[in-house]
Amino acid sequence: MIEARDLSKIYNKGRSNEVTAVTKVNLKIDGGIAAFTGPSGCGKTTLLSMLGLILTPTSGEILFDGENVLAYSDYWKTKFRRESFGFIFQHINLLPGYTALENVLLPLYASDLRPEGYRERALELLTGLGMKERADHTVEQLSGGEQQRVAFVRALVKDPKYIFADEPTVFVDEETSKVIYDLLSDLRERGKTIVLSTHDPELIKIADKVCRLCRGSLEKEGGRAEV
Amino acid sequence: MTLIRRHRNLFKYSLDALGRYRMRGAVVVVTFLIATTMISAVLFTKDGLEREAEYSVNAAPDLTIQYLKAGRVVPIPAAIGEVISGTEGVERVLMRTWGYAGIGQYTFTVIGLDLQGLDLTGGAMGAIESGRFLTPDDAGTRNIVIGKLIAGMLDLKTGDDMILLSESVEATRFHVVGVFSDQSSIYTADMIIMPLEDANAFFNMPDGYVTDFAVYTKPGADAGEVASRMSTIPNVRILDQDILLRGYKAAYGARGGVFTTLWTILLAAAALIAFSQAVVVGHESKFEVGLLKTFGFSTLDIVEVRLIESLIMGFFATSLGMLIGYAYAAFFNAPGLVDILLGWAFLPKEFRLPVFVSAESLLSIYAVTVIPLLVTTVVPAWLNAITDPEIAMRRGTA
Repeated sequence: MIEARDLSKIYNKGRSNEVTAVTKVNLKIDGGIAAFTGPSGCGKTTLLSMLGLILTPTSGEILFDGENVLAYSDYWKTKFRRESFGFIFQHINLLPGYTALENVLLPLYASDLRPEGYRERALELLTGLGMKERADHTVEQLSGGEQQRVAFVRALVKDPKYIFADEPTVFVDEETSKVIYDLLSDLRERGKTIVLSTHDPELIKIADKVCRLCRGSLEKEGGRAEV
Repeated sequence: MTLIRRHRNLFKYSLDALGRYRMRGAVVVVTFLIATTMISAVLFTKDGLEREAEYSVNAAPDLTIQYLKAGRVVPIPAAIGEVISGTEGVERVLMRTWGYAGIGQYTFTVIGLDLQGLDLTGGAMGAIESGRFLTPDDAGTRNIVIGKLIAGMLDLKTGDDMILLSESVEATRFHVVGVFSDQSSIYTADMIIMPLEDANAFFNMPDGYVTDFAVYTKPGADAGEVASRMSTIPNVRILDQDILLRGYKAAYGARGGVFTTLWTILLAAAALIAFSQAVVVGHESKFEVGLLKTFGFSTLDIVEVRLIESLIMGFFATSLGMLIGYAYAAFFNAPGLVDILLGWAFLPKEFRLPVFVSAESLLSIYAVTVIPLLVTTVVPAWLNAITDPEIAMRRGTA
């Protein structure tokens, strides 16, 4: 269970260019797929990043299974991310110069696991997304859709409990989008908690919970039919 | 075991990153290569010159006695030699007449020695490569022993004649009976040794005068104490080996010191370049650090990765730079540097710089290259690592 209590984020606080991105958001995500939606600039990515512990809130609390993780050290949060989180970014964020397979194995270098030991699993996941033949191609040789599939495999290689995905279908074609919908549904079936931000109505359709944001505030939340 | 595996993972990632950021690595390596090459050439040459100075002083007498008038060095009456000989602790006194003589644009040091008073055991003034050293029988024969540099420049060998011009522009013919070897290098390189009588005649010295006295003390005698016993002799100035060594080292060290300072400034500039490079590539670096933090790399992990990269780059560039610096000085004679370091008006192509690598210089070079590199690459990485990953990535892609 992920819970946000009075979560706020103000960029450049106290300066002339101060921007309030998220204001006192309260929400609970109890497994399944939770989708943040709303117009551009409404704070979806900021909220997602805060819940993913890659952006420090200005105020408020974030609880994982009842524990306020913001009270812990940066080292603890890093370790928690390493062991429990997988990230998919809107801009994909693969490291250039590396092959698809090397990018997938990258998160393992931060752990005490043997990256080579995960090679088979990575290839299996890439194969599942139709990327087997492209495993040894560098990022520059892959299309946008292929890169996003690689990014998904990278997020899943360590089989994390929580997956955070920022606009995962925004830059991909229809075919890749369908692959992503199926993959996310499958992950939900396997008990993963998926938090994502999206404008994609098809993606919203498979969400268990939808949170509509407007100007940094949570305007509405509930089942997809309600929102 | 898991800890070792974790560090092994970070090490492997660092190696991969070095391959990936080739341009950044190349700029840093080339910058430090140039700087290290220059500073190595200066320091190794300075070390070589200082070692030569020590050799020269070791070959020098325990005390050198000069004569002063109105505070200036003038020829010393030979009769004073008897007073000096009578001083407690003195074993031997050697009269010398020396000065400079030219052949065309070249200037050489001419030393006339009292061959009767010279201890000819142990090579006298240095190893002879060909021919022989002078003996008492050479007095008045105009036989000479020359340095290897002179032999090379004038294409002379044992058995040849050479003509020297005196201050009064009188040509005198001398006969080469020996050539010093390389081992005595700078000390004998431009030296012409001849009997005292011939030197006196060549320099037109007044009868009964020489340039100075070389004094050798008895085994076990303290040169300082012997010198203090001579202090009552009027008008004499006494130089011991320490004073000579300090003089030599100050001359080479000061010049070398100027250069060391210059190259240190250059290195500081190189460090700045490395820093600016880190900032220029900063976007890429920020993005990478942010992404790694997202995956679960801790701040310490990031610092460790950058530390490994910088150490590999730094040691590689510095070691290669030192090798090139050594070759530049030892094999190519440090063009552009040698004149300033030696302060000679003319250096013939035959001259070979004495180059020596001391542990002190090696450590200094590593210290002034690797440490700034570590600071200029690790600090920005650390600053990025303590920033929220999302912000670091956003700055990196901005």
